[in-house]
Amino acid sequence: MHRNHMKEGVTVCSVLAALWIKWCVGLGSYSGAGIPPMYGDYEAQRHWMEITQHLPTSKWYTYKLQYWGLDYPPLTAYHSYLCGLIGSSINPTWFTLDTSRGIETEDSKVFMRYTVLITDMVIYIPALIYFVRSWHGNRSKRTQSLALLCLLLQPSLILIDNGHFQFNSAMLGFTILALNCFSRGYESLGAVFFAASLGFKQMSLYYAPAIGSYLLGRCISLGRRAGTATFIRLGVTTLLSFYVIFCPFLPPFAPLESILDPLIRIFPFSRGIFEDKVANMWCASNVVLKWRAYFTQASLVRLSAAFTALGFAPAVLNLMVGSWKASIIVDSTKYSTPPTLPILPWALLTSSMSFFLFSFQVHEKTILLPLLPLNLLMSGSSPGSFTFEWSALVNNVAVFSMWPLLRRDGAAIPYVALTFLWNRVIGYNPFRKPARRSFVRYIALFVYVEITLLHALELLITPPSRYPDLFPVLNVLVCAPIFGVTWLWSIKRSTEVTWAISGIGLRRSRGQPQDVKDLK
Amino acid sequence: MTNNSNPRVAFPSSPAQSTVPRTSSKSQLRPTGAADVKKIATEEAGNRRGLLSTLFSGVTPSEWALLGVSTSIKVLLFPAYRSTDFEVHRNWLAITHSLPISRWYYDTTSEWTLDYPPFFAYFEWLLSIPASIVDKRIVDLQNLNYDAWSVVVFQRTTVIVTELVLATALFRFVRGSVDQPMQRIISASLFLHPGFLIVDHIHFQYNGFLFGILLWSLLMARNGNLLGCGFFFAVLLNFKHIYMYQAPAYFVYLLRAFCMSPQGGLNVSNLLSLANIVIAVFVVSFGPFILMGQIPQIITRLFPFKRGLNHAYWAPNGWALVTAADRVILQVIKRTGADFALNAEGIASTSRGLVGDTVFAVLPNVKPIHTFAITIALQSIFMIKLWRNPTYKSFLCALTLCGYVSYMFGWHVHEKAVLLVLVPLSLLAAENHALFRTFVIASVAGIYSLFPLLFTPAETPVKVVYSILWMYLTFQPLVRRLYEFPRSLPMVVVDYLEKLYLAGFCALHLFVTVFPLIAAVPSAQQDTSSASNATIACTPREGFICPETEPLLSSTSSSGRALEFLPLMVTSVYCAIGLTWAFLRLSFIYLKSSSKS
Repeated sequence: MHRNHMKEGVTVCSVLAALWIKWCVGLGSYSGAGIPPMYGDYEAQRHWMEITQHLPTSKWYTYKLQYWGLDYPPLTAYHSYLCGLIGSSINPTWFTLDTSRGIETEDSKVFMRYTVLITDMVIYIPALIYFVRSWHGNRSKRTQSLALLCLLLQPSLILIDNGHFQFNSAMLGFTILALNCFSRGYESLGAVFFAASLGFKQMSLYYAPAIGSYLLGRCISLGRRAGTATFIRLGVTTLLSFYVIFCPFLPPFAPLESILDPLIRIFPFSRGIFEDKVANMWCASNVVLKWRAYFTQASLVRLSAAFTALGFAPAVLNLMVGSWKASIIVDSTKYSTPPTLPILPWALLTSSMSFFLFSFQVHEKTILLPLLPLNLLMSGSSPGSFTFEWSALVNNVAVFSMWPLLRRDGAAIPYVALTFLWNRVIGYNPFRKPARRSFVRYIALFVYVEITLLHALELLITPPSRYPDLFPVLNVLVCAPIFGVTWLWSIKRSTEVTWAISGIGLRRSRGQPQDVKDLK
Repeated sequence: MTNNSNPRVAFPSSPAQSTVPRTSSKSQLRPTGAADVKKIATEEAGNRRGLLSTLFSGVTPSEWALLGVSTSIKVLLFPAYRSTDFEVHRNWLAITHSLPISRWYYDTTSEWTLDYPPFFAYFEWLLSIPASIVDKRIVDLQNLNYDAWSVVVFQRTTVIVTELVLATALFRFVRGSVDQPMQRIISASLFLHPGFLIVDHIHFQYNGFLFGILLWSLLMARNGNLLGCGFFFAVLLNFKHIYMYQAPAYFVYLLRAFCMSPQGGLNVSNLLSLANIVIAVFVVSFGPFILMGQIPQIITRLFPFKRGLNHAYWAPNGWALVTAADRVILQVIKRTGADFALNAEGIASTSRGLVGDTVFAVLPNVKPIHTFAITIALQSIFMIKLWRNPTYKSFLCALTLCGYVSYMFGWHVHEKAVLLVLVPLSLLAAENHALFRTFVIASVAGIYSLFPLLFTPAETPVKVVYSILWMYLTFQPLVRRLYEFPRSLPMVVVDYLEKLYLAGFCALHLFVTVFPLIAAVPSAQQDTSSASNATIACTPREGFICPETEPLLSSTSSSGRALEFLPLMVTSVYCAIGLTWAFLRLSFIYLKSSSKS
């Protein structure tokens, strides 16, 4: 009893420490602080809290779109509505329609920071705790605590959510909750959570191919009768969830055309293939190949869609093949955990990374989506293993890839401090001398030296006027290859995990399935 | 945070360390003989060869981890609220950099004149050299209230860097400690003390650095090098004169344990060497000013006796309880209409929310001489005990009590002075359960009493969450080692009441948080017309008067001010109860302790 009490204490302390650090990051600057007339993402979120509480739902997606029109799905809007209502009950001047634009009083800033922190506490942190308990349930308590700390203190998410100001943790939290449900075999509930994730930010579409094929595969592996029933149940719950999320824009509450307002706002294909410098395939290769000169906008859209589909196809294929073979060799009813579950994080990584690398209109912040499955995988790996080393490298590179953005926000100090802190907590020293034959270590060391050099150069030299974007472009050139290799690596690993579950050939395998919880 | 460092890492004995006598832990328990001192002194001289390498050699991986983690969290606090002390120190940088030394203690360009002893002025002068390289505007004397990012980063960085003095002292405390695991917890908890976080890294001061010097002095005392102990304390006194609170304990201890033999004979050579060292330190510090004949001017700067009994926010000491009692009795008299001689000035003082001088309405007024008499009388009791039992542990206890008495009954005590109690008391926490419980009560009450220093809503989660974490991570491992069941019925009752008192802080915090919201509801309707009110950095709505800028606040209606002051008063009184109880506990433990140990 006493020991248990201590372990609970460790979890509580980790969470408190993480919340404290998040709050301290929030003491600093945010996106667009003090830059009229448009400000930045902070003002966008505040503006949505303002318009949702003063306007009927029909106007949410149409009101004065030039000034931060709402461009996330309705769940974000409902969340803003709730936050706005609470805020207005404390001080109505924070959210008066139109006149409160660009308000930056001390107390309103504190309130806004609280909204992020409390959303975190309600969705993301419980999801992480539950994830560690359910996915690493058979590991030692020490490993679980470290895994939790590693996930809680992940620098990229804290810098974007609590520094830059966004609510990505809500979307990611819903996805983790979905994964937790899948691990317990509650597919329908998981589907509801994933619909919520999609309903919060459309970016979680990056996960949709993996999750969709996992659920489809689950139906296949259950056999014809049970599988069909599951399929129908999943279909109905998913559709129902989306209906509930979008119901103010659908009959009988509104005419059918009104659904177009949010949809047009959510999927902006009219914008360019990339806006800022993003470490994806298009932007990196743009140094040599001027894509926008060769192709029209419409063909670029199609091209990127094709590339993306090709990019996540291996993940879908692995999940399908894995579940099909599992249906032959494993009696699914005997196992509480679904046999294809270990493939899922890898498939999520493949799918989200392929979207990041190849899809249309990617922001540098979107790297948070591939980072989530990567960190979930990392949290279960042992220090020194390839997964651990590579994930640590990708995390550090990901933070670096957001450096131009963070620099604009004036978040240089939290950027350094949090990256250092996270590496310290997980016991990873980027500049440690590599052991013999540790190929990944040599690559990592090379990348870290590059990053250090770039930072030093940026401090010392102002870029020539011919190339004002010199440093962001160099940044992209450092980061994009790492992300590309991560994508390839995830394909390799998901294929291996599939083989481990069901054997290589098509013939019936005699061996028992490997430990299905082994995620390494 | 303290537990994150790998507990399995053993402390390797480094070459530098091996020169420190291993027997020191034993010799600390008895007055050190002259032969010991000479031996240690020569060894220390050997130690001094490479000061830097000595300081940082053998810093274990877990200590590097502690330094790394703590630095990264302190760096995150750069943009946090800073009090006027920040501008005070910036102004001192400017004074020492742009004026000749003869003008330092005369300059009145800013209202924040130099009022620390000369070593601190030299320290500021040293800091002003890099400051002028970082940004010329920092050291511009006319550039008042300069708060560009460059000066914030520079000054905050100097706090973190100079705090390494504290870190090195604490790390050395672990080496050669009798109980290394416990000392490691104590050292880590002191380095990460919420008091330092609140007062230094947010509010802005250099206490970590100054207490680092104090701990170096105590370290010397523990290792039996009493000459070094006296030297460091003399240096400390010349940095900040508030440490005079502790001077009696030092005086008695050094005189008895160093300048006299255990039998009572005077050891003239020791006395002379100590006197020489102390005088040399003071000459280095005050020498230039003695030559320029500025001593009277410095004295008036260092000891401004025009202040009141209590600080703006009552420091939770004995006088806070007396003042509160006065207010309560006044209300009782007013309600019942009892015939009693009231002091008209005192009645006015109650409605002024305690700005400036405190005048009692019912109780007899307190003059500075009274506070001195009480302080010295109480201190002398402990000094007699120390004289009879001049060991290191006894000295530590007497030192704590000496600071404690000054804090409890001093004139115009500032709430930050509670660190003078908490820091030496921490070193005693691992002794036994009675001292540990005293430490817990004093720490909780003392740390909570620092909360009103940070009255801005953004810093509230910072101080509260950090303090909770610190308390859990410090108390939990200690209580597992030290816990004892209360053995008699009165002890059971006391134990229960103490736990109840500690639990009461949750209720207190709830009250302090909720009360201004309730009190603000009626006044908010009046406030909506004057919207400018809401944008002042120190919002009256928060219910906390600003401790530093208070005289600038316009006086609003007396009832409104009383409502604003109530949470502060309740905080002060509640903390004062705990601190007084901890004081009584500690006095009792010390006076009852047998003379041998």
